Amino acid sequence: MARISDWLIDPADTQERTVEKLLTVTEVLMRQVEQASGERGAAYEQFRRAALLEDRVRQRTRDLEYALRLLGETNGRLATAKRTAERAQRDLANAIEAVQEGFALFDEADTLRLYNSRFCRDMPDVRQSLRAGMPFSEYVELVSLSAALALPPGQARRDWVAARMQRHHDRQVFNVALAGDRWLQVSAQRINGGGTVMFQTDVTDIIRLERIERGKMLDDQARIIRATLEHINQGVCVFDAGLRLVGWNQRLAQLLDVPAAVLRQGTGFDSLHRRFGHDSVYDEHLSFEALSVWAHGNGPRPPLSFEIRRPSGVILDGFAQETPEGGFVISFSDVTRERLAVQAMLRANASLEARVAARTLDLEAALADAERANASRVRFVAAASHDLLQPLSAAKLFVASVRDDAQNPQTRSPLEKALNALVSVEGILHALLDISRLEVGESAVEVVPVRLAPLLAQLTDEFAPVAAGKGLRLTILPCRLTVASDPAYLRRILQNLIGNAIRYTRTGRVLVGPRRIGGNVRIEVHDTGPGIAREDQQAIFREFHRLDGSASASEGMGLGLAIVERACALLNHRLSLASEPGRGTSFSVEMGLVASRALHPDVMAAIADEPRDGSNRIALLVGSDPDLRRDIGLLLERRAIAVWEVGSGEEALALLDEIGIVPDFYLVDHESDHQSGTGMRCVETVLALRDRHGDRPTCILTADPACGTWAVGIGCMRKPVDAAALDAFLASVASMPARP
Amino acid sequence: MTMAGRHTDARAPIVRRASVPARGPRPAEELAEELGPGPFALVMLFASPEADLVRLAGQAARIFTGARLVGCTTAGEISRAGYDEDTIVAVALPASHFGAETLTIPDLSRLEPRDLTTAVVRAREALAQDHPAFAHEFAMLLVDGLSVKEDELASALATGLGSMPLFGGSAGDGTRFRQTLIMDGDRLLRNAAVLSFVRSACPVRIFNLDHLVPTAKRMVVTLAEPRRRIVRRINDEPAAREYARLLGKDGQQLTPFTFAAHPLAVRMGGRHHVRAIQQVAPNGDLLFFCAIDEGVVLTVAEPQDLALHLERELDRLGDPAQPAAILAFDCILRRLEAQEKQLTGRVSDILRRHGVTGFSTYGEQLGAMHVNHTMTGIAFYPPGTALPEDG
Repeated sequence: MARISDWLIDPADTQERTVEKLLTVTEVLMRQVEQASGERGAAYEQFRRAALLEDRVRQRTRDLEYALRLLGETNGRLATAKRTAERAQRDLANAIEAVQEGFALFDEADTLRLYNSRFCRDMPDVRQSLRAGMPFSEYVELVSLSAALALPPGQARRDWVAARMQRHHDRQVFNVALAGDRWLQVSAQRINGGGTVMFQTDVTDIIRLERIERGKMLDDQARIIRATLEHINQGVCVFDAGLRLVGWNQRLAQLLDVPAAVLRQGTGFDSLHRRFGHDSVYDEHLSFEALSVWAHGNGPRPPLSFEIRRPSGVILDGFAQETPEGGFVISFSDVTRERLAVQAMLRANASLEARVAARTLDLEAALADAERANASRVRFVAAASHDLLQPLSAAKLFVASVRDDAQNPQTRSPLEKALNALVSVEGILHALLDISRLEVGESAVEVVPVRLAPLLAQLTDEFAPVAAGKGLRLTILPCRLTVASDPAYLRRILQNLIGNAIRYTRTGRVLVGPRRIGGNVRIEVHDTGPGIAREDQQAIFREFHRLDGSASASEGMGLGLAIVERACALLNHRLSLASEPGRGTSFSVEMGLVASRALHPDVMAAIADEPRDGSNRIALLVGSDPDLRRDIGLLLERRAIAVWEVGSGEEALALLDEIGIVPDFYLVDHESDHQSGTGMRCVETVLALRDRHGDRPTCILTADPACGTWAVGIGCMRKPVDAAALDAFLASVASMPARP
Repeated sequence: MTMAGRHTDARAPIVRRASVPARGPRPAEELAEELGPGPFALVMLFASPEADLVRLAGQAARIFTGARLVGCTTAGEISRAGYDEDTIVAVALPASHFGAETLTIPDLSRLEPRDLTTAVVRAREALAQDHPAFAHEFAMLLVDGLSVKEDELASALATGLGSMPLFGGSAGDGTRFRQTLIMDGDRLLRNAAVLSFVRSACPVRIFNLDHLVPTAKRMVVTLAEPRRRIVRRINDEPAAREYARLLGKDGQQLTPFTFAAHPLAVRMGGRHHVRAIQQVAPNGDLLFFCAIDEGVVLTVAEPQDLALHLERELDRLGDPAQPAAILAFDCILRRLEAQEKQLTGRVSDILRRHGVTGFSTYGEQLGAMHVNHTMTGIAFYPPGTALPEDG
């Protein structure tokens, strides 16, 4: 069987029957397919449909139900949300109602949204018209029209509205006055989103209480003011804007000499003014009428000062000033005593001035006298010193010759001492001469560029032996700087400072150090001496002052520092002193620095290191030290100068006597005779040479600045001999006429 | 189900069941006693036509106050003994795990699908509102088995039920086919149906078993009377004779056992649905249990081994968890087949072991369909059981 229809056929049937059956079957099938059976087959059709579609329908139904359930849940949530919102609204309303103050909320569009029952409770007419959605401006308008509002005095309703609208834009708290002395505090606050929350608080009680407090406080203040008024020594009267007396003190009655009865509350200004004004004398600045005009003035009155004299002679200083309320205060002070004192002082002043003028004239005369006296003293000292030097030199020579002639040591010793005394006197005279020259003024100095290197080298040569002799260590630091100074006085300054240092220092050292400080050079001289007490530090610069009284005259005359001070003052060099007893002393001299390239060419030439042609010259060199003779000889020979060396004065005289030629100049070592202990002293040698062979340029070589050789008119050169100094000497020699 | 499992059920049964002899003096009281303490949401009574239905309904309504009471007459019961006869079987759903609502459909000859849909939807909503905590739901239909209206009714209910799964059974009258009754509270109704809506804490699974395999033998209904489910002629021959010819039998030998052994089915979309024959009219017409029409192509189906099939299918319900109870509406033809093939003992044993309770029907409803020759029912699982979504 291959066909599903096979079973439809009954093999027992005839052909015709089979065909008929099949046609019938076909017909019902076709009808079924076309669903032509109508109502009859409805039940089966339903079954068929259910069977075919059941699954799909159920699935669709399930989906639909799911969607419906979601919808239902969403609706549920919506309902919940709505309920929540409604509850929140209710809660908000309740909360607002619970607020004790009047509360209102205006939204960002400035319309009233919410308000509680206390809002505008005190303004029933406003309260009546309140409704949600009312614009703020309408609300303000309503309030301004309210019978309950007490407009501030002098403010129109329109202005109040404008001010209130203006105020609305700021966050603030302010009070609003209501009729019947009631007060409302309004607190407006902007909230997020632009709305405004407004609180109204009844502050009537607070304000009334405050008022009472303020009244009490005012009473207290009044008492304090009264006490103060009575306390002060001025008479005070206070007038109100209506010129009525409202305050005064007892002192006023005393000063103005008015009966106390006149001074009472409400006394008019004019009445009081007449009382004291008719018999008072007003000063020229303010008359009786002017004061009245001032008091009656309308506009702001400027403060006023005036003075009146009472018949009793009492002078009163009045001061009138406006008070903020439009009244004024006048205070009176008794200035009688002050005025009298001023007059007395004015008189005294006049007589004093006259006396001062007279004295000034006297002083001018005295000063002129003093100047004249001083000038004459200086001249006198200069003249005296100069005049004294000649006889003193002669005295020395005589004493020296007598001493030299004296064979007996007993005779010779006093003579020796006498000669020394004379030499000291000579030194003093020279110092005095220096000082007097310095006091004459600047004409004596010539400030030029001075190279420190040779100067310091000379000082080293000069003082090293002295220091060594005392067992002191002397250090003079080299310096290549050039300063602006007078070379001679600078040398003297440093000589005196270094000499003093060595003199007063018993042990230790002396240090000289130039130091550059900006555009200046400071030369410092330090020692490890006893130091100078502060109280003595001024005195040491005085003439003839010596700290160490025990020092012998040969060690100094006490003029050194006086010269230093004057020289520094003249040269405009700053001289300073730092010392402490037991810790040594330090002097310093500060002077201007000169850039080395700024040196004048002439000066350069004058102190050039290069040897000069000194040909055809003969030098007589006297010195006991062969090394010194050799060194100086070499220096001179390099300058093409012939040198005759001798060991002593005697040899020199003998040599000249022998050869009969007078040299062009003499160089005599100061120490030559000291070391031998016998023989001619150098000055004697020079004097003897001049005496026998004529006055030739002479230079004594010395290490001792205080040797005094210069005092007898002989030039000297410090040892060790500086080539520059030697050249300077040779230059001066060259200008002199050649030897005969 | 094992014996131990049954004892567990007895001690803490989620679904209560009981059975008493149909003609006992106070069947309702005895049933109540056996069911145990309530309260119950729904009490179902499946009663042999031998029982005094009127008295039973009255007593039960008084005893099970507060519970919905539904029931019907049977073509045999399924009790703890398996296939049973002349008894009253009760199944009760405790209110602790169930909520129930019922809808009476009093006159099946005047169905108004729209009104029915409205009523069904309302009943469902009311139930859902009363018992929102119960996540699972189903509808159970008990319908007059001689009303010939089951197809239309099932179809009409489907719209309103929506996603709520429906299963049902047609009341029976033994093998007499004279009168079937529906119990709705204390009322007994004819030509009526009662629909129970149930929500439950228990997951449920509705099942529908048939063990038939279609053969190649087909026939065409050429003359029928659909309103009465009568087929007069098949293949343009008298219906009974032609049916017998295809079975290779004499037309006079046809009995209910024949129908059970050689059921007819229609094929639709790769599936088959049994169109069961109720009886042969003396004039040779065939009277069916379900809707039939001219032009319908009927296929002869052959049953498989009923017992084996049943055992296998009930076992499958035990996955992933053993059901707490199974309520089954079993076609009378299956009982007849078992009887014919002397399988009653075995089948009863299988039913007993799986804790199946129910009754033998004149037809079963599943969703929008009225079907025959099946076992259609519901398995209740303990609360919290996760069932695979099986559509």
